[in-house]
Order: sequence, then C-alpha cells, then structure tokens
Amino acid sequence: MDDAPGYAVVTVTPLGDGRFEVTTDTGRVIAFGVRAGAATWVFLDGRVYAIDSRQPATGARAKHHDEAALAAPMPATVVAINVAPGQAVNAGDVLIVLEAMKMELAVAAPHEGRVRAIACKVGELVQPGVPLVELDG
Amino acid sequence: MTVPPFKRILIANRGEIAVRVIRTCRELGIESVAVYSDADARSLHVSLADRAIRIGPPPAAESYLSIEKIIDAAVSAGADAIHPGYGFLSENHDFAGACSSNGIRFIGPPADVIAAMGSKIAARTLAQKAGAPVVPGETPREQSDTAIADAARRVGFPVLLKPAEGGGGIGMKAVRDEAGLSTAIAQARREAQAAFGDGTLYVERLIDHPRHVEFQVLADTHGHIVHLFERECSIQRRHQKVIEETPSPAVTPALRQRMGDAAIAVARAAGYRNAGTIEFLLDPSTGLGAGSMDNASFYFLEMNTRLQVEHPITEQVVGVDLVAAQIRVAAGEPLPWRQDQLAQRGHAIEVRIYAEDPQRGYLPQAGPLLLYREPAMPGIRVDSGFMEGSEVSVHYDPLVAKLIASGETRDAARRRAIAALRNFPILGIRTNTTLLLELLQHQRFVEGHVDTRFLDAEADMLRAKLGETPPAAALAVASAIADSTPHSRSTVSAPDPWTTLRDTRL
Repeated sequence: MDDAPGYAVVTVTPLGDGRFEVTTDTGRVIAFGVRAGAATWVFLDGRVYAIDSRQPATGARAKHHDEAALAAPMPATVVAINVAPGQAVNAGDVLIVLEAMKMELAVAAPHEGRVRAIACKVGELVQPGVPLVELDG
Repeated sequence: MTVPPFKRILIANRGEIAVRVIRTCRELGIESVAVYSDADARSLHVSLADRAIRIGPPPAAESYLSIEKIIDAAVSAGADAIHPGYGFLSENHDFAGACSSNGIRFIGPPADVIAAMGSKIAARTLAQKAGAPVVPGETPREQSDTAIADAARRVGFPVLLKPAEGGGGIGMKAVRDEAGLSTAIAQARREAQAAFGDGTLYVERLIDHPRHVEFQVLADTHGHIVHLFERECSIQRRHQKVIEETPSPAVTPALRQRMGDAAIAVARAAGYRNAGTIEFLLDPSTGLGAGSMDNASFYFLEMNTRLQVEHPITEQVVGVDLVAAQIRVAAGEPLPWRQDQLAQRGHAIEVRIYAEDPQRGYLPQAGPLLLYREPAMPGIRVDSGFMEGSEVSVHYDPLVAKLIASGETRDAARRRAIAALRNFPILGIRTNTTLLLELLQHQRFVEGHVDTRFLDAEADMLRAKLGETPPAAALAVASAIADSTPHSRSTVSAPDPWTTLRDTRL
C-alpha cells in the first residue's frame, strides 16, 4: 500500500493560467488543469486524467448541495440506474451512471438515506442541474 | 529580394497543412488565400492567411471537396496558383485539370500523371517497366490446381492465394510451403467462387512482417529528378500512420542507394513533376538472414502524388523546405538542389497526436481544446492547425498536431520526443498522447525492430498501460481547481475529499 493514493502529502501551488507546481516527496513537476463542468482535466507528466470533482457529501451539507450532487454535471446520457425507490443507501453509493463526452460519470449518494423516487430512465439524455434521484434522510 | 514565383496562392485545405503552406508563402513574399467551411470560420489557418474565403457548410463534400467552389474562390481572389495540401482534392485529377483550364497553376503533378498513378494496377505496371521490383505475383492463365501450384512455386513461398476479382482480404489464404498447397488451393477457389462468383485465383508472394519505407522525390519541369531519402512509417494501424522517422533504422547505405534509384526510375517513367512519394514494402527477413540489409528485398507499393503528412521529418534531416521547393518547381524554376548536394544529417521522429480514445477502439473525439500548450524546447517542431480554445470538429480528420523531434542520433530524437510529449498538455478532449509515450518507450521501438503489424500486435498490451488511477498529485491539482479561490497556496492530503472519484479512465 506504499503508493496508494491518499497518503502522500502533496503541495499544489497555482502558477496561473492553468499551470500548477506540484511538490511531492519524490520531486516537483508542473501540472496543468482545467475545469469543464463537474469534470476536472489534469495533465501530469504526459498523462491525462478526467476527474469527477463533485464534492462528496457529509450529513451537514446544505440541501442545494445535495441537489447538485444528484444531478448530471453536464449534458449526459444515463447508462445505468443502480437503485430502486424505497432502497436504503449509504453515503458514496453509486446511484446512477452517466456517460458524457465518452466518459463515465457516477452520481453518488451525498449522504445516507432512502431513495424516494428516480427521475430519469436508462438511455435518456439529461441536462445539468436537474436532480436525477430524490433522496430522503 | 527576388521576384516571388507567384503573386497569390490559394490553399485548398484546412488545419495544420494549410497553416504550414501559408507560413512558407509568407516567407516567399506570396499572398496567401485561405478557404474555410462554416466549421472553420475561426480556425488558425483562416486567421493567418492574407485573406480568407468561405466556401460552404461543414461537410467536406460541400466545401473542401467541391471543385467548383474552390475554383470560384481562386478566380474571385485572383489567385495564380493553388496548393492542394494533402487529402481532400490533392490527388484528384479532375481538380488539377480544372485548375489548368481556369488558368491557375496546380502545385503538384500534371493531371494525367495523377490519374495514371491513382490506378494501382497501372502504377504497378509502370513501376515494373521502370525496373522497380513489385511484389511477385501472377494470375495463371490456366487455372487448374496444377497450374496454380506451379505458379506458387514460381512466385516463391510463402504465398498468398487471392480471389482475382476480390478485395478486402476476403478469401485470402496464406500458404507457407508445398505441404499445405493443394488443400489451400481448393479452399481458396471455393471461397472465391462463393464470395465473388468467380473462382479465378491470383498468386502473390506473402511478405510476412514488412516494413513500410517510402522515398520522397521531387521533379522539376526541366527533366531533373532527385530523391530526398527515405521515411520509415511502419508504426501504423489500419493504414493510419502514427509514428514516422528518418533515416530508417533498417536501411543501410547500399540499400538506400538501390531504393533511391528505383524511386527515381519510377518517377521518371511516370513523367513526374513536383513532390511525390514512392512507397515500398521492405522485407527485413531477406536482409537479416543474410546478415546485412544491403541486399534486402523491397517492392513498389504505390506512389502518392502529393505532399505527405510526414514531410517535416525529411525537412528536418535534409535541411530543406519542401513546400517552398514545390512552389518554385510549379512556377517553372529548376530544382534548387542536385542529388549530390542532398544529405541526411541526424535523425527525426514525427508522432501524430490524434483526437481519439485509444481505449475505446480509437474512437475519434470532438470538442474544445480547453487547454492546449505546445512545448518549446531544443529540437522540437510542432505543426498544428489549432490554438487553445479551438474546437476539434466532428467533420474532419482527428489530427490535432504533429510533433517532430530532431537530434544528432535516433536515441536523442526519441528522448526529445518523449520529453516534449510530457510537456504538451492538451485538455478538454481525449488524445493518444499517452499511447505515443508508451510506443516511444517500447523495447521494440527503442531497438528499431518494428514492422507494419507491430502496433496491432501490441495493442492490448499498450492499452493496458493507459488506464490508471489518478495519482495523488493529479487529485491534488483537481482539488486545488475545485476550490479555486484566488489563494496562492493550498496544501491537501489527497484523496481528501475525493471519495466520489469514479472516472479513472484515460
């Protein structure tokens, strides 16, 4: 587990114009990043990562954050619905899988709760900002 | 300052090659006229040209492939010559003919030469007459099993039995030796009959792991022809070239002499003018077995009657401007150099950066280049038609940029290409950058032992290296962007708060 992401301390210094100086215990590199909707594209040492940057939820989060978390981050197609109304879910459970720009995006439960309703269907093209799942709790 | 060879050149193309031609026009003091479809109204080639003319809606058939619209644009702009670039109308003899009948010089070969070399069969016959080797093969007049077997022995094993009427690889049978011959003949005949209603067979020598080695030629209107050495283009998939280099690691001086002579002989026999490329298949097995590539077998494949995408590696190693030479020769000037004035110095490697997703069957990608920063470092040239903020359109080919690395040795060029790709961020759409980096570091590429089947053969292994969980550093950058208040410094312990990360595919 030595190189498991998450335990290395990384210092990021924005240099402006999408450039970032990244210092890790193994050295210093220049990375590039840009935000596109809820995805963040990062270029690091010849590799590109498209990172879904929606905040995970804690129970303390305000309701509008929940709604944002339960919506598509950009126009996307619903490829899978993993839950059904009435089902209990834990924070972080993947409720809906979307595809946009050839990229899979997950809509995860921002908190523990119970699914009240599903507001989309597989194959549907959905717009950002509209919650795809209603969650109690 | 000398008088420019033309007053005004229209560039009947788009993207990086239009930009490339416009830049040379400017150097030569020639006005440039760009054409564009609605999809390209804000493209780099449009902003760089002295003037730009809209020629139609995005589909190429209604814009860049419309002879009428392009000729109209050239006439209305008062252009005295047209550079066709590559692709689109560059090898269309009707277009070359339409240029002449409208009093506009076509920067390329005569229309009848384009037509002749456009036919694979006619080109093969012409090459054979010029003394260039072609892949041995014949359609036996008598089609009995015995006659086909005799033909296979004449052609030499391994052979390929092909339906004479066929195409697309259907019904082709590889036969390694005498033992499998009679079964294969019967089978090939049945399949040919079933697929094409004609059991006639063509017998061809099978070149097992060929290398693609092509020669650049240039001819003027005064009877002079030179070649500018070879380009090795074996790293390809489905005939789409991905990495090219010169010199070829497989070509020795003696082999280069033989292939260069053959290339010039073909060009001369074709009555060629301007820049062209003779493509050969090189059979490395014939050289390696003998301990030297000097006597290796090579075969004429086809001639491309235009500038090639990969022409910059020749420019870097030979030290010439091929576009400038094309323009001068088209204007009737003699070739700027004799054969003995041309030499290769150092090494150049071109990698083609495509908007595609190598992990999803190379699916072409379209979308905005949200961040696009070309690297600037010693020995690096980038030819591109895009800028940051440009949109890669669904209507045209997915080539984003060509990165050309030069160095004193092959390894120096290779290392520079790697360093440059690591400093060439393109964000907003997926590209093959990481695949290119893996290829450049692949043991077989490092050793120069590649053939045209290399990329397909290694595809799965290469793809497996592409998917990767974002490292902590990448997550930390994403985190810094997410809470990008304009503070100067943020320290995070990744993957805080990135527990919902799902998309880790490249």
